[in-house]
Amino acid sequence: MFKKLIAESTGKSPWLFHINAGSCNGCDIELVSVLTPRYDAERLGFKLTGSPRHADIVVVTGPVTQQSLNRVLRSIEQVPDPKCIVTMGSCPQSGNVFRGSYSVAGPLSKYVHVDVDVAGCTPKPEAVIDGLYLATQILAEKRKEMKK
Amino acid sequence: MKYIDLLNFLNPVHFPIIAIMLYFLGAFLIVLFGRNRIVRNCIAFLATGLTLTLLILLVKPILIDGGIIPYWMGNRVPAGGYAIGIALEVDALSLFFGLLVATAVFVAILYSFSYMSEDDNEPQYYTLFLMLAGGVLGMVFSGDLFNMFIMVEILTFAAVALTAFRNRVTGALEAAFKYLVVGCIGSTCILAGTILLYQQTHTLNLAQLAYVIPRVGGTNVTVAFALLFIGFCTKAFIVPFHPLAADAHGAAPAPVSVMISGVLTKSGIYGIIRLSFFLFQTMNLGTMQFWLVFLGSVSMFVCVTMALAQHDFKRLLAFHSISQIGYVLTAVGLATTLGASAGLYHAMNHTLFKGLLFLTAGAVLHETGTTDLGKLGGLSKKMPWTTALFLIGAASISGIPPFNGFASKWLIYQASYEKAVETGNIGFALVTICALVTSTLTLASFVKVTQSVFFGQLPKECENAKEVSWGMRLAMSILAILCLVTGLFPNAVQKLLTIPAGSALFNPNAYINGMWQSHLPETAAPAVQTVGVWNPTNWLILLMIALLSICIVAIASKYDAVRENKGEKVALKYSLFYGGEETEFSQVGGGDLFWGFKQNWRHYFSFMHNLHSGIVNDYSLWAVVALALAMVYALIVL
Amino acid sequence: MDMILNALKYLAYVLIFPGFLFCFLSGLLLCGIDRKLVARMQKRVGPPILQPFYDFFKLCGKETIVPAAANKFMFLMAPLLGLAALVVLQLFIPVFQFNIPAFTEVADVIVILYLLLIPAVSIILGGASTGSPYAGVGLSREMVTVLACELPLVLVLLSVGKVVGASYQGGICFSMTKIVEYQMSHGSLITHAGLIPAAIAFLLVIPGETGNHPFDAAEAETEICEGMLAEYSGAPLGVFKLNHGIKMLTMTSLFVMLFFGGLGSGIESLVALVGLTGTAAHMVSVLLAVLLLFLLCVIVTAVGISLVHAVTARLKIEQIFKYYWTVVSGLALLSLVLVWYGL
Repeated sequence: MFKKLIAESTGKSPWLFHINAGSCNGCDIELVSVLTPRYDAERLGFKLTGSPRHADIVVVTGPVTQQSLNRVLRSIEQVPDPKCIVTMGSCPQSGNVFRGSYSVAGPLSKYVHVDVDVAGCTPKPEAVIDGLYLATQILAEKRKEMKK
Repeated sequence: MKYIDLLNFLNPVHFPIIAIMLYFLGAFLIVLFGRNRIVRNCIAFLATGLTLTLLILLVKPILIDGGIIPYWMGNRVPAGGYAIGIALEVDALSLFFGLLVATAVFVAILYSFSYMSEDDNEPQYYTLFLMLAGGVLGMVFSGDLFNMFIMVEILTFAAVALTAFRNRVTGALEAAFKYLVVGCIGSTCILAGTILLYQQTHTLNLAQLAYVIPRVGGTNVTVAFALLFIGFCTKAFIVPFHPLAADAHGAAPAPVSVMISGVLTKSGIYGIIRLSFFLFQTMNLGTMQFWLVFLGSVSMFVCVTMALAQHDFKRLLAFHSISQIGYVLTAVGLATTLGASAGLYHAMNHTLFKGLLFLTAGAVLHETGTTDLGKLGGLSKKMPWTTALFLIGAASISGIPPFNGFASKWLIYQASYEKAVETGNIGFALVTICALVTSTLTLASFVKVTQSVFFGQLPKECENAKEVSWGMRLAMSILAILCLVTGLFPNAVQKLLTIPAGSALFNPNAYINGMWQSHLPETAAPAVQTVGVWNPTNWLILLMIALLSICIVAIASKYDAVRENKGEKVALKYSLFYGGEETEFSQVGGGDLFWGFKQNWRHYFSFMHNLHSGIVNDYSLWAVVALALAMVYALIVL
Repeated sequence: MDMILNALKYLAYVLIFPGFLFCFLSGLLLCGIDRKLVARMQKRVGPPILQPFYDFFKLCGKETIVPAAANKFMFLMAPLLGLAALVVLQLFIPVFQFNIPAFTEVADVIVILYLLLIPAVSIILGGASTGSPYAGVGLSREMVTVLACELPLVLVLLSVGKVVGASYQGGICFSMTKIVEYQMSHGSLITHAGLIPAAIAFLLVIPGETGNHPFDAAEAETEICEGMLAEYSGAPLGVFKLNHGIKMLTMTSLFVMLFFGGLGSGIESLVALVGLTGTAAHMVSVLLAVLLLFLLCVIVTAVGISLVHAVTARLKIEQIFKYYWTVVSGLALLSLVLVWYGL
């Protein structure tokens, strides 16, 4: 019974941890707007947490600069399994306009396995919610695999 | 000519004097044969252990059967109605304090064996230590005022010497000097008071004084009262004598701190009780109750706030010990049976938990070489036993159920609130509130210690710390177990120890009768009534059931899917989360905690900071001012 | 045989009702209702009411990382100790006139005040044991919050004890059973003019004591990364969240029992009116009483916690302290003075 409850709940309560890896702040604002009354992602159980230890989904924004690389990786490492990594905006996926800059170490997928990419500069809140929802399903899958 | 009947020694009548003599004999023998470590330890152990045994044997005749043991030294019984010989008189109150003394001394000696083993001049240490113990025991058993003074002198000088024992420690000599100066003012007050009383009543026997003084009265007697009162206040470190204790504790070795806080202050409290309940029998006066309760409440509140501002482990504990003594004085000052019994209960608990806390502080000092809260941290992984024992002590002093501090504080709240409702005086309700808030402040300052000494991060300097030797752990464990036991069975403790001792306060005629075989009418103290409900054993059983079942559920449901770091190197996953910055040592120091509280009280704290200048002249001045105030107050109201 | 049955009965009390299971369900439910209400007040749809259950079970399914710097035993035991203490505490609060004497005679209100410290201490110890600097800041704030709430709570309880004690021997009374008994015969204490400021003060203390929104400086997730919980993950974190829910239940039901304890007096006659007798009647009345209690708890939560949450921004820690020691304590002190002089 306990296992069933856990399996059922895993997809329903995704907590987010947001890492800014050198973002221009556009995506960051857009992520917060997802939680506002207009879009209210909390109805799906989304919640922003302050510590990676509490998180299920790590949302990375920004092109992953040299300065932030180690810190991003460490914070991602500190998230307990099962976890899901979502990149938000085009920067962490391709580098966007910062591509080729001496100070950019991205894309993020070079270092860790990224589960969901939400493209756009910046992505619309609908797209973000969609991407996060996708991530919750992956999360539930991962939980099942973890138990095998 | 009678030959000595050896069996006669086994008569309980002789136990008090044997107990005192054992300490002094031990001190003497250590001077003679103390060069060898084993001999020295054996003597100290036997002297303290035997004394404790003798006093425990006295529990039956005195505390349970309600007897009083008078003893005339050399059988010089009084002639012509005047007592010339030296007398001992042990009633329930004396024995109660005697038991505290003997327990604390025994544990402190056990602890000293390994704690002091690296010091030089060890024989001197034990000699002084036993002198101190003998002084306190002699004082609480003494049947005449002048011998009380002598014993006070012995214990003061032994304590001063022991404070400066580690004279290489910064501030040790200064602390001892301050203690010496203000302690001498106190002793002089006691002597002056004694002289005045003798001049007025022509006797020094306590029982006789108790009979004569209420019938004589007069200005001389009132002034003597004020002098004696202030004298004993300095021994108990009641506000305004509290800064001395802080300095002395900061410098003294831990077992000596146990003695100063657990035993010496108790001797002061004993003196105050003897003085106001027995000798002068003034406690039925509202003004006198107000005086004691006021002093007690001020002590408990001022010292707990002072403790919050400290950043040295032992100084912090020192202020707390005055704060707790404030509780005792407040409770006793209520002059109800419940109050007296609660106060004595708290006095006992204070000896136990404060002893434990000082010993853990000593253990930390022993391992790391410092007690500065800012320099310590993370010791819980290195010293798990000490941490556990410290937490027990901290929980006890902060009044966390089911430990003993809660049991007695809770009785004190009830006593003061009952008194408030009984007299309709809202001032006593404020005392209850003050006591409750002080208790939470105590918790706060111990949270500070817990965080900055035992938890948090381990600084590089402390990496070599390890668990202390089993001898020290044994001594601390004894106190910890006593803390738990006296907290779990408050009814038994009250019935066996504190109610007999507390009731004795309201029956001074029994004390006189016991000594003089007279037949003054004895009044039975009113029965103790508690309105509150608290059943610690049942609570603990419930808690254990709940905890066990939760643990079972937790384990059954994979709560045990716990990942921890394996190996020496810390993997990224197990490192601390630092909001992106590189990991570095960033302990939240003791001084920075409770900023939200201190910010609101900043004027109070800066006022207090300026007041505690650390200059002995100031402290002497305070003593003189206090004496003057006490005299004026006594002359006006008594 | 009797003894075993008795033991089983008490075990059932501890484990099912009013103990562990009841606390678990109603605590989390209360949390969910609070979240939903706040969302609705902010014109959001809000999470489902069962959201705290999902959170709890999800956290149970995650791995628990013990930081290398932490003291493992303390780290893992602290949440469980807090939970056990809260569950036991809930046993001591009667459900209107239906109390289990074996439990309610264990501790009175003043003791409950102290037992409330144990969950706070457990979270402090747990946080401190991780060695995180966020936990250091968090525990300092938590302790100051506890300190801030203590004074008004004490004043409120003393006033209540004085009022109720007037009709008992000794003049004061702190026993929960007797306080409720008094209200059954004299009407709820909220109708006592002198105690109205005390009731308001208690209502204001509830969010502070539970660490809810404007007073959650200790767990501020945006500035100090949830403070003491910063290093917690998986099931222990879930247990701490559960503790928060149960604490809400405890505080609100304490409020209900102290000030609205008289509301349950009609239940038995109501049941008798329907025509039930004997054991069935008792069962139905207990059920009704529990429902009534829970309903009242929800109302208190709505007014005392959710509304305050929705309309205020987080206070700084020194503001929290100042607020409680001036405004709230002032109200409570007013009550004590009024009660003292016979109002």
